[in-house]
Amino acid sequence: TGAHLGHTSLNIDSLRDLARKELVNVLDSVQGKKGLILDPNLSGPLSLIAEFALLKAKHIHTHTRDSRPGLYTYSLFFVPRRTALCEKVLEDEGVFGEITKGEYHLDLIPLEDDLLSLEWDSTFKELYLDQDTTSIYYAAKALMRLQRIYGWFPRILGKGDYSKALCDMMLRMRREMAVDDLDASQTTQMSQTIDSLIIIDRSVDMVTPLCTQLTYEGLIDEIFHIKNSFVEVDASLTTTAPVQAGAGASGSTSSGSGTVLGKKKKVPLNGGDKLFGELRDLNFAVVGGLLNKVAKRINADYEQRHNAKTVPQIREFINKMGGLAAEHQSLRLHTSLAEQIMDYTMTDDFNRILEVQQNVVAGIATNKEPEYIEEMINKQVPLVQVLRLLCLYSLVNNGLKPKQFDFFKKEILEAYGYEHIQTLENLRRLGMLTKQVTTKNTYSLVRRSLSLIVDEVNEHAPNDISYVYSGYAPLSVRLVQCVVQRGKEPGTAAGGGKGSGVAGGSGWKGFEDVLRMLPGRTFDEKQRVEDGQPTYTKKSNGQPRISLVFFLGGCTFTEVSATRFLASQEGGLRDFVICTTQILNGNTLVDSLVQKVPDLHATV
Amino acid sequence: LTFLESFQINDTGERINRIKAALRLYHDEKDHVFEEKAVEESVKLLQLQVQLEKEYAQSFTGLSLSSTVYKLITINQSARASKVRESLKMPDKRFWWIKLRALVEIRDWDGVATL
Repeated sequence: TGAHLGHTSLNIDSLRDLARKELVNVLDSVQGKKGLILDPNLSGPLSLIAEFALLKAKHIHTHTRDSRPGLYTYSLFFVPRRTALCEKVLEDEGVFGEITKGEYHLDLIPLEDDLLSLEWDSTFKELYLDQDTTSIYYAAKALMRLQRIYGWFPRILGKGDYSKALCDMMLRMRREMAVDDLDASQTTQMSQTIDSLIIIDRSVDMVTPLCTQLTYEGLIDEIFHIKNSFVEVDASLTTTAPVQAGAGASGSTSSGSGTVLGKKKKVPLNGGDKLFGELRDLNFAVVGGLLNKVAKRINADYEQRHNAKTVPQIREFINKMGGLAAEHQSLRLHTSLAEQIMDYTMTDDFNRILEVQQNVVAGIATNKEPEYIEEMINKQVPLVQVLRLLCLYSLVNNGLKPKQFDFFKKEILEAYGYEHIQTLENLRRLGMLTKQVTTKNTYSLVRRSLSLIVDEVNEHAPNDISYVYSGYAPLSVRLVQCVVQRGKEPGTAAGGGKGSGVAGGSGWKGFEDVLRMLPGRTFDEKQRVEDGQPTYTKKSNGQPRISLVFFLGGCTFTEVSATRFLASQEGGLRDFVICTTQILNGNTLVDSLVQKVPDLHATV
Repeated sequence: LTFLESFQINDTGERINRIKAALRLYHDEKDHVFEEKAVEESVKLLQLQVQLEKEYAQSFTGLSLSSTVYKLITINQSARASKVRESLKMPDKRFWWIKLRALVEIRDWDGVATL
């Protein structure tokens, strides 16, 4: 695991090593042979930190719960923190005194060199529906830890009320640190690599996650669902040989659930797979062509063996064989994945949904869209799909007309069951499915002033982030772009003029009007160190500066791709590292809000 | 919330009582006219389903209105399905969609032809 990490100026590798070391310490704190029982929600993320072999070396064997009590002493480690509530439960169960308790501070898990995630699946619902702000606390803790490693972030900008809360909490934690641990607080320097932290609150941009992602990685997520950067696919896609023996197999076995689940197989998807690295951020429209090219190249490479006449030539070819076989393997995987995606994207349903969706976000108003949604309900397509489109429609149009609103609610209840009164209430509370009160349409104003809709999209050689949704630029990433590219004329990116650093830049300036239209507060804080040293010392050694982008409440793979695209536009002067509470897509987002009822017949 | 609790209850009679309690709560609040009506309908549906279970010795509770109608057609009870549809005022459009899908499911091509 993690061979793909550690190739950028911000050494993400060290973050994982830290987490790994702590894990070892935690495990070593228990004497002797150990059995490890993992919460199933944990095994995935943990496998990204440490491979099975490491655990085995620590005398850990996974064991089942039926082992005789009394022979074991139980230790319990809370991830990421113990809470008073947990302790209360243990007390109530009468086992509080009998077990050793500890904590394992697992927070931001590096998925990629430029992507860190808390992998906390329920944050969106917790934050916005239940208004449970625990995750903000964990996020703040995690960011403080980053600051301990990389130095104070000179500037923190953000949009949204929860973003503001996160920023405030970090500033407060720093003040507390100055009291509790003066040493640490004084030795921590201003960060020389990271010049800003940009926090975007999911509530600011609800439209983007509801759209169907059209990048390769995004579509894999939409169709197969990527979990902890693993995807489960049909075993037949990968049978011939173990995929990526080193990185893959060990990771999935340590997850405890076994490598082969029925006929499914877990396959890791990360930058370690070079081909995937090339494909992931591309619009799916161009993936087929590229795969074809790679196939031809690999084939040509194989053919070279006929040209190998002399002994050194043959030896050279054999040396290349290993790499070639791996490439071939990954090509096979991605070709079959792409084929399956293709089957899906060719269906009428997919294309009609997409068409409706594109019209909705572009604000091309016809009455065809609600009609199509009605048809979907009539066809009894999965509720999540219906709600996804309906919410999108509602968000973009500032709510549904009262008659429409009641009509759809009734339709949904009758078609999918009355328990969804609660589902609809959840969506209403989040403002995702509402009754129109004014005809004033904020979305269309925002769309215009930030040019979210781009008509001419070149999927082959994109020149704007809107390529990821074939014409719609994700609002969240547009906001990031506002901060970063402001004050710099297009084309003079390399000039390094006055405005090219975010730390000294103008921040949100120039975008106040747009920002006012979006929900939540806007802020721009500067952090200093006590001895009055300038907030930011300009570096001239040509290393790119790094902006940390934190998506509070989750982000989609497409937004990750779009942010990577922004970096590529910066011509090596700026890198982005994306942090998020979890990776989500429209389906997982809506699904978390759907009311579940127990299936009574299952128990009868 | 009382309404949601009702889904945990196995016994249908008990469940209807619980839903009715929820109904009173919604009734007391003025903003929930829509919810009140919906809950009322859910009681009707449930009562109907209990009746259907007696008639056809198959389980119906837990299904939505659409699925109930669908199931009736697949067990060759189209007439009964139409009745259910009338008593709960299902819109024509959806009914025909359901009927079409259900007939296709049971391969009743004659039925499809006479639609």
